[in-house]
Amino acid sequence: MKKILPIAFLGAAALIFPVSVKTIFLDTPIENQMGTVQKIFYFHVPLAWIMMLLAVVCGVAAGIQLRRDSKRAEAVSIAAAELVLVTGLGVLITGPIWGHATWGKAWTWDARQVSTGLLWLIFAAYVLVRHYGAAGSERLAAALAIFGAIDVPVIYYAVKIWKTTHPSNDVAGSLPASMWAALWPALIALLLTSIAVLLIRVQQELTDVTLDEAWVDLDDAGANKLEPTPAPTSGSGDA
Amino acid sequence: MVALRQAWLLAVNDLRQEARDLELILTSSFFSLVVLIMLGMSFSALGVSSQPLAVPGMLWLSVAFVGALTLGRIFTREREFDTLRALLVAPVERVSIYLAKAFVTLVILLGCSFITVLGLTLLFPAAQPFAERPWATAALVLMGCTAYAGVGTLFAAGLASSSGKNVLLSVILYPLTMPSLLFALVATRSLLEGHESFTTYLGQLTATNVLAFVVGAWLFEPVLVGVPQKRSGTARAARRRR
Amino acid sequence: MDATALLSLRDISKHFGRLSVLRGLDLDLRGGEIVGLIGANGAGKSTLLSIIAGLMPPSRGQRLFAGSEGVGRDERARFAVVSHTAQTYPRLTALENLELFAKLRAQAGCHSEPLLPTLDKLGLGYAADRQAGTFSRGMLQRLALARALLGKPEMLLLDEPFTALDRPGRTLLASVLAEERDRGAAILLISHDLEALVSVADRVVLLEQGVIAGAVPRAPDNDTFGPRVRELAGRMPAVRVEAEA
Repeated sequence: MKKILPIAFLGAAALIFPVSVKTIFLDTPIENQMGTVQKIFYFHVPLAWIMMLLAVVCGVAAGIQLRRDSKRAEAVSIAAAELVLVTGLGVLITGPIWGHATWGKAWTWDARQVSTGLLWLIFAAYVLVRHYGAAGSERLAAALAIFGAIDVPVIYYAVKIWKTTHPSNDVAGSLPASMWAALWPALIALLLTSIAVLLIRVQQELTDVTLDEAWVDLDDAGANKLEPTPAPTSGSGDA
Repeated sequence: MVALRQAWLLAVNDLRQEARDLELILTSSFFSLVVLIMLGMSFSALGVSSQPLAVPGMLWLSVAFVGALTLGRIFTREREFDTLRALLVAPVERVSIYLAKAFVTLVILLGCSFITVLGLTLLFPAAQPFAERPWATAALVLMGCTAYAGVGTLFAAGLASSSGKNVLLSVILYPLTMPSLLFALVATRSLLEGHESFTTYLGQLTATNVLAFVVGAWLFEPVLVGVPQKRSGTARAARRRR
Repeated sequence: MDATALLSLRDISKHFGRLSVLRGLDLDLRGGEIVGLIGANGAGKSTLLSIIAGLMPPSRGQRLFAGSEGVGRDERARFAVVSHTAQTYPRLTALENLELFAKLRAQAGCHSEPLLPTLDKLGLGYAADRQAGTFSRGMLQRLALARALLGKPEMLLLDEPFTALDRPGRTLLASVLAEERDRGAAILLISHDLEALVSVADRVVLLEQGVIAGAVPRAPDNDTFGPRVRELAGRMPAVRVEAEA
């Protein structure tokens, strides 16, 4: 089951992707002002939503990890954080391309741009702490993830307020219904892919934990064997 | 209530030690002065019209730099003499340790911010409202520094209790405190420009402070010592015994 | 399980990733008993102490102190730890160092012994008003012990308490520990110094590769440990080689 689920998700995504691409490029009208470049919107927006979702998943999992000392939650939290980086990178690359077409400028310090950037930085810090922190820093990293997840709305709100005191650009206006319709297949395909990758990564982390435990058990067994037989008294320490 | 009283005792104790050698206050305020001079030199040519946009950034960047230095130093000191461990095994609420350290950090940061604000007022004509509205400025600086101390204490303590690498403190601290600093930045700008929206922004900054402290206090004990496992691993133990 | 034990550790394991430090360790500690725990470097002594003191949860196994798994404020009021790092504030005087912990205890509703007599008892009365930063290591060790004795702990954990002490200091420590034991405290002494342990302990246990590998009680008649302790000591170098390999 653990192996089938990601494959099933990936398979479904593989089926939906061509449909989504067809809908986006052939069935949906080309936007008047921006032209074909606007098509990137259908990848940009789902990626951004998935990124936010993953950030929250990471924070919640980190909370469970801290409170319950759960290895499973820890694995989910690691996997989600790494995927936040990947999807975030996608968002931060597609965003400026779209922005360039819309506003004539790739980076405009738009509220959404900045908050995505900040969120990305927080989860980059998480991955850094996980990799380079000393023993015990997995709990510190978890706290970082929790703060990161809580920060999602705060960041957005803060940046929005910060933005209002800046000279502002017109954000792209409302889109026609046909364009929203083309968004859903893309969202589902990307979401399925993300979940599949998440599951695979979680499985990897859990295998790693199992491997560590097996190693420890083996080591313990080896140590017990090495133990010299003429133990002075009862081996337990109860006198 | 016990937690608050113990926190007060610990904070007073830290401040009393600080009063004896002034290490933190002198090094941190000297660093503030250095940052201030660097900012002054970098932006001295700035026109008066663009100054209101730059001065808030200077203030909060300075707080961010000085804050990281102060937090690092406070907890390096704890680690040098291993006193944090002594408190962790004493009948002291862990939250008290968090609150006390955050309070001490805040006091030092406020001292440093005083230098920064005073310096900015002298260096930049657009920073005059700091002097004209001292109470508003004080409230603003207090709230901004509180946010920084609340988040920073948790992570600096966490790094100090593991055999930590202090470089990670800045890596963690800057991205996490950015939202609070953004609120502080906006509030400062509206103060300088004389907008009424200042109080609204100050209120929002206060709200993020409350959030930071609640989460920080909640996470302090799990991060520092972990939580005892409820499952005692009997199934695994049985398997191992075989 | 021994119902009379104040502290009981059952099947305690601790591993950091793939590094296994404790491997299913069992240990009981009763009131009125000094247990000397001896082990080579890397045998897991400090990790064990951290787990007993509640600073680190075990990877698996059960730690019961006075019948409770928790290490809350009330439990922490009932035991004390003397670490090999003295854990004192260098800019406070000896008296102020004690005062801080006495006040913290008072806030938690716990009684503390009078401070100056405690300092006197450990031969620090003359230095009560000197800052701890000017103390020698031996004096810091005595100060740390004074702090531990403040609350008349039911359980006293000491990590390498002999290292910094001179001969009179060791004699003093031995008599203080005996006094605490006779009062009913359970005392765990952790050290790699067998001679020092033998001089005070009622029972010596050997920690080897993360498990209790042997225990020798003091013989009731002749007040010594006899040749068995030599056996333990004989195994020590082997342990050291293992740990370094």
